Amino acid sequence: MVAIPQSTFKIQHAFIPPLIAFILAVGSWEVLVRGLGIPLYLLPAPSQVVATFLERPAYLLGIGVATFSNALVGSLIGCSLGCLVAAVCVRWPLVADGLVPLAVAASAVPIIALSPLLGIWLGSISPASKVAVVVVMTFFPTLVNVYRGLISPRADTLMLMHSYAASQRDIFLKLRTPAALPFLFNALRICATLSMIGAVVAEFFGGPQNALGVYIKTEAGILHTSEAWSAILVACLFGLLFYLAIVLVERRALRWK
Amino acid sequence: MSAPMIEFDRVSKIYQSGGGPVNALHDVSLSIAAGEFIALIGPSGCGKSTLMRLVGDLEQPSAGGLRVRGKTAHQARLDRDYGIVFQSPVLYEWRSIRKNVELPLEIMGQPGPQRHARASELLRLVGLSDFGDAYPHQLSGGMQQRAAIARALSFEPAILLMDEPFGALDEITRERMQLELLSIWDGGPQRTTVIFVTHSIPEAVFLADRVVVMSPRPGRVERLVTVDLPRPRSFETREDPRFFALVTEVREGLREH
Ligand SMILES: Nc1ncnc2c1ncn2[C@@H]1O[C@H](COP(=O)(O)OP(=O)(O)OP(=O)(O)O)[C@@H](O)[C@H]1O
Ligand SMILES: [Mg+2]
Repeated sequence: MVAIPQSTFKIQHAFIPPLIAFILAVGSWEVLVRGLGIPLYLLPAPSQVVATFLERPAYLLGIGVATFSNALVGSLIGCSLGCLVAAVCVRWPLVADGLVPLAVAASAVPIIALSPLLGIWLGSISPASKVAVVVVMTFFPTLVNVYRGLISPRADTLMLMHSYAASQRDIFLKLRTPAALPFLFNALRICATLSMIGAVVAEFFGGPQNALGVYIKTEAGILHTSEAWSAILVACLFGLLFYLAIVLVERRALRWK
Repeated sequence: MSAPMIEFDRVSKIYQSGGGPVNALHDVSLSIAAGEFIALIGPSGCGKSTLMRLVGDLEQPSAGGLRVRGKTAHQARLDRDYGIVFQSPVLYEWRSIRKNVELPLEIMGQPGPQRHARASELLRLVGLSDFGDAYPHQLSGGMQQRAAIARALSFEPAILLMDEPFGALDEITRERMQLELLSIWDGGPQRTTVIFVTHSIPEAVFLADRVVVMSPRPGRVERLVTVDLPRPRSFETREDPRFFALVTEVREGLREH
């Protein structure tokens, strides 16, 4: 159908303006740092960060993978649990009445502050404590969003199901679940961002040597600013890739939009 | 005639709402024969939708008896005796038009190939053959309503409940849809029993075998007008002097009280 030219049109519009803005921002950063003669230990120029990255790309990407896998495993667990509990809330409204307001409050709380405590419970070096931080961070927004999606069908769409004498199972699978999908992807996009933040920051409170958060903290501590920035660059890269992967899946899954 | 298809015996419906009880229907007795086309007309709030929801077992009467094909309305719903068309199309936006038409068959456990064939047949019947793969938002309001009618007809229900299905359509589309509806209703091996809610007097007279004129506060049946216009009805029907006489009769019924 006519969908193909339309979507390329949209993609150009979605990518070109932010790309220009990005180039301008990085460009002025470069010019300012060099023009004002800002010392390297305060703020390196983007070109210096990239150069530092290129000195040991394999190592930096390697520790990026280590941290990213915590983010990935954590959000997989957190989002799945969130979906599961949301389904339980729909099935037993009493549970929802008790739980959902709490979850809304918890989504607004800086859960990352729990990180040192989770370190005490699960071992501050072990990946388990990092994964746990991500699980807790992604669980609440997923629960809240997916629950809202599951209860989003209007009265008449439900009445239609009742008029067919549809089972609760059919109502859940053929009405509530598809209605909740856009809400789920909204949650996943939020979680992609949160999980990378959670995984890196959790490592600030301790972790194995080969991890982004530990590396950033150590290098910043001895004023190796450019090294720290190169690791931040890697963190951004993984966060962005995670986000884009979800947007890609969303486009396929919600093609009817 | 043989046993009535739908029988109201002194049915009342009182809603408990914030501002005290609302007497939506009071002491309604009405007998509808198999294959009869009934139009329900009356001012806003006189209980037309309520009456329809009572038949469809989407709401319970407060007093009185209601039998559908000699059964309770509840049993009739479980037996899938109703096809309902609401005022808005209530299509599931994530399903293609074809999949929307197949929805009731899917719930009733019909195998895929059979479903597919039936949907094709119905889409042809309502003139949407070329739009089976389109999604609801890609269709005009009139086309969406036709899809909703196809969906209601898909499982050949004994009773068709239509709540202002053409309410949102322009006059020209509306008159065409009326003709289409009648030709579908007339075309089958045996006529479906139809309850059709409308705000339009000419529409009621044009379509129905009997027009039930209702009045509000409390909602009750004011008058029954038997429409003795010959079938099949056509554009010429609207120019028949008898048509005008019946329109006047219904209008007078609406003005009483
Ligand atoms: N769920 C409900 N709770 C409380 N009151 C209701 C409810 N549904 C309908 N009513 C009231 O019952 C009365 C009849 O409503 P109903 O929707 O059956 O009227 P209607 O004839 O279909 O009106 P319209 O032509 O505007 O659709 C109205 O006074 C309405 O406010
Ligand atoms: Mg109504």
